[in-house]
Amino acid sequence: MKEAWFPISRRRLLRGAGAALGLPWLEAMQARAAALPSKPPVRMAALYMPNGVHPEMWTPEGEGRDFKLSPTLEPLAPLKDDLFLATHLWNQGSRGGEGHYVKISGFLTCTTVTKTLGVDLNCNGISMDQVAAQRLGRHTPLPSLELGIHPVTTGVDKNVGYTRVYGSHIAWAGPTNPLAREINPRLVFERLFRAQGPQADTAKQDALLLDRVLDGARDLRGQLGSTDQRRLDEYLSVVRSLEQRLERAGKPEEIDWKPRAAWKPDVRPTDTPKDHAEHVRLMMDMIALAFETDTTRIATFMFSNEVSNQNFAFLPGVSEAHHSLSHHENNPDKMRQYQLINRWHIEQYAYLLNKLKSIREDGVPVLDNSMILFGSGLRDGNKHDPHNLPLVLAGKGGGRIATGQHRVYSPDTPLANLYVSMLDAFGAPVERFADSTGPLPGALA
Amino acid sequence: MRQRQPYWILGGVLLVSAACAAQEPDFAGVQKILRQNCLACHQGKAPSGSFDVSKLRTEDSLTSEARRWNRVVARVRNGEMPPKNVKALTDADHEHLTTWIESTLRHRACADGITPAPGPIRRLNRNEYASTVRDLLNVHFNAARDLPADGAGGEGFDNAAETLFLSPIHAEKYLEAAKQALDYGVRDPRSRAAFITQGPSDKLTPEQAAEQVVSGFLPRAFRRPVTKGEVDRYLGLFRTALARGESYDGALLFAMQGVMVSPNFLFRLPFPNPSAQPRLAESYEMASRLSYFLWGSMPDQALFDLAAAGKLQDPVMLKQQVGRMLRDVKARDFAERFVEQWLGTRELGRDIKPDAQLFPAYYDEEVQSAIRYEPILFFQEILAENLPLLNLIDSNFTILTNKLARHYEIKVDKLSQQPKRADLPENSHRGGLTGMAAVLAVSSYPRRTSPVLRGKWILDSLLGTPPPPPPPNVPELKTENDGGPARTLREHLELHRANPVCAGCHSRIDPLGFSLENYDVVGRWRTQDAGKPVDTRGQLPDGPTFEGPAGLKSVLMTRKDLFVRNLTTKLLGYALGRGLGVEDSCAVDAIVAKLKENEYRSHILIEEIILSVPFRYQPGTQAGLAVEGSATVTASGGQKP
Repeated sequence: MKEAWFPISRRRLLRGAGAALGLPWLEAMQARAAALPSKPPVRMAALYMPNGVHPEMWTPEGEGRDFKLSPTLEPLAPLKDDLFLATHLWNQGSRGGEGHYVKISGFLTCTTVTKTLGVDLNCNGISMDQVAAQRLGRHTPLPSLELGIHPVTTGVDKNVGYTRVYGSHIAWAGPTNPLAREINPRLVFERLFRAQGPQADTAKQDALLLDRVLDGARDLRGQLGSTDQRRLDEYLSVVRSLEQRLERAGKPEEIDWKPRAAWKPDVRPTDTPKDHAEHVRLMMDMIALAFETDTTRIATFMFSNEVSNQNFAFLPGVSEAHHSLSHHENNPDKMRQYQLINRWHIEQYAYLLNKLKSIREDGVPVLDNSMILFGSGLRDGNKHDPHNLPLVLAGKGGGRIATGQHRVYSPDTPLANLYVSMLDAFGAPVERFADSTGPLPGALA
Repeated sequence: MRQRQPYWILGGVLLVSAACAAQEPDFAGVQKILRQNCLACHQGKAPSGSFDVSKLRTEDSLTSEARRWNRVVARVRNGEMPPKNVKALTDADHEHLTTWIESTLRHRACADGITPAPGPIRRLNRNEYASTVRDLLNVHFNAARDLPADGAGGEGFDNAAETLFLSPIHAEKYLEAAKQALDYGVRDPRSRAAFITQGPSDKLTPEQAAEQVVSGFLPRAFRRPVTKGEVDRYLGLFRTALARGESYDGALLFAMQGVMVSPNFLFRLPFPNPSAQPRLAESYEMASRLSYFLWGSMPDQALFDLAAAGKLQDPVMLKQQVGRMLRDVKARDFAERFVEQWLGTRELGRDIKPDAQLFPAYYDEEVQSAIRYEPILFFQEILAENLPLLNLIDSNFTILTNKLARHYEIKVDKLSQQPKRADLPENSHRGGLTGMAAVLAVSSYPRRTSPVLRGKWILDSLLGTPPPPPPPNVPELKTENDGGPARTLREHLELHRANPVCAGCHSRIDPLGFSLENYDVVGRWRTQDAGKPVDTRGQLPDGPTFEGPAGLKSVLMTRKDLFVRNLTTKLLGYALGRGLGVEDSCAVDAIVAKLKENEYRSHILIEEIILSVPFRYQPGTQAGLAVEGSATVTASGGQKP
């Protein structure tokens, strides 16, 4: 957005920022060579769509291997063999709570977030992507990548008593640690780049600097009360983890696989996508880039913040905003438009899947080594209900996911069971996750 | 359906009235409700959730167990108690219980004097970080450009300590941003002089020069005096860098980068108060409280000097500083950050965008910018000129540029591309926030106006009485194709109000919104919508009929106490960087009373916030002690004279 009276001119800003991109990436890439396992690692992403779906246009017809995609899922037809479709999963933890906030912030945690305008912010769990990142994140330059389109929504929602922070986060590193997202494609690119190939001596200097600063911060800790100590511990832990990452850079023994794709500096994207559609596509490109270069193996992405009123009039036949259409009141015209918006999201998902399918490593599509989840925290936006959630999982997860089927489970099977199976396929198996009752039968090959 | 309202509107006018008019609540009645609904689980050896309600049997407990009472009301209001698997409270009991506890607690709290709340450590938010780096290094460089945005907590602002969490991405960005800002600053001689204040010479070794530089830089960066040990720590970084062959400047920048990722810089840290009693905040802390409130940045040299002289605890001096600070250009940042979050207009251009095809006029660069800045600069003008706050409801001026005046179809001479204050013509329907395009756009859908959204916006943002969300599963309202002719939006919404489930709230929301139907999505005047004349008449259930923007403003004027209370609450929440509690409401009461006596002058609001107990004091080691002499009501219940 242009700001006529902003005291700093745009050009000046651009001149100042993001200069140091001349870093040589080659040494770092080569340092990661040497005798490593040859089997490519499994990648995992979760794509979150706000505001639910048109319930009658979602569920595929038929069960097992012989199924027919619904109108909303139809853009995935060429990828039918790569899909694992699960019907009747629900997120028990997100039952109750007025409005959307409980649904979205608990989507990957399967817990009930605490109702608060801020003071008691707590998801009461950890998101499944962060379980994976904490177990295996050390093998890649970035443990995980959190992406979105819009900045955190302004304000608190006094109507329902929740801070809008909840509506803007799906990744939680811990009960009180929602993970901030990057929303600017160029910054994502630069972050991936810096993580991939930090100049060895810069990294060393930065690590030294942080080490000294951490020393000072520890002295400070003793002067603080317990709540303040917790906040400072948050600081200590993020700074410490950056320091460790910088120290690790250039130590190939931590790396367990050498990516087959070289870094492509020419794909550097724009700061200012021309519209919502381009913005989303660029973020999809960044996920694909991060996966093929093995900069991270774990990503989460939010198409928009929950309760988003994104204008979808750019779609033929749509004239209203997203959230208002989701409260369709069973009006046929609103439901028709709502479905078109759902379908558009599926098309973007298909774009990412196709992209990952077209990139090959050792003769195999990256998609075959990935698990890309698409979903929403509620089914019918008019009802706000977390039963029978709209979910698609795509990619064979390194041969672990039994794709090419639509499974219909008994009503109210925990969504957490799917996460248990996904974590298993990812190589970070867990006994239990939140309200899980076991792995999801039939999900694993 | 049951209303869930913030505690503080209950004593006053109920715009959204309670569903059931309970009989006058009293202590015995409340005890009966607790006995019948809570005690079964919450008493005995192992009370559920370790929460013993039997400790609340006596009237004394309202003072000695105030926290416990507070918890009861919070859990009940949140609908968390009683839990889902036991019998729910009746609507009457719910209202009775919560109203009585809240008003009683508040009354007792105020009669005892005001207790300051602990000021938690607070990370500089994205905007504060940008401004602080700008002022510390004297650079025109937005160091926060690549930082993620912060979410809001408390009263709805992104400076609330509780929601300023840290992610790993912050650590990377702070490290990088400090490096970039310093590199940028050192290349500009004017900036460089602000932070590299000394160089090596015949008389000074590099080490000695650097010690002088760091000794000057560190107290400004940490916003307080520093110890020799702290200076040595960063000199150590300088030495290390110099030893590995960095230049003098390069080595200093390395040390300064360390300073700028230290928690002492990135966080506002309270000075510990070792005594049992509450006390006035320490002078340097007061300097930061003032500067982050009114500038959103670090203190300037004048404030540091006053802090060093111990003068920032003197009310006369504080009032002087308010005048000075509000006239400073940095007060623009305060106006922008407060107003855009209070009114929600920050979302314009983010999640909320008028449709570009239907409203190309909005996308003219000057118009868009003028729309965005109108409420901000209007608020700033009210502050700078000490005007009555009721101008926010209705005013005879606004802030225009040439093109915005044309957008509004107002003829004003001598306007330019730069926004400036302009008097409105006689009988203009503009004036006040509700005639501003930013407000009208942010309470519309991208392609059409919505009386519901606008009515809700007025109840929420202006009056602080947000209606509850619509119940799920709202059935279809029969519209076209049900035999009759196509209906207008008004007819459609009247059907809405005919449905008793909807009527309770919509009879209060919709009339307010309809009065603004003369304004389109981007705030232009219209007399027709889709070929039909717009109808802006409305009537609230408890009031007379009114029509159009002027009618709305007269309705709002009759509720000015509610408006002023809401604005005071918001601004106090912003000033304190946290949500307000019962204790703070005593301070709000006192400020509102003072404003009433002083024609609602804007400086009174700012001064009274700065002089209030929550802003000026910090608690001691003994919790719950009030500041002596701070009672705002007498024990018998009346306002103190």
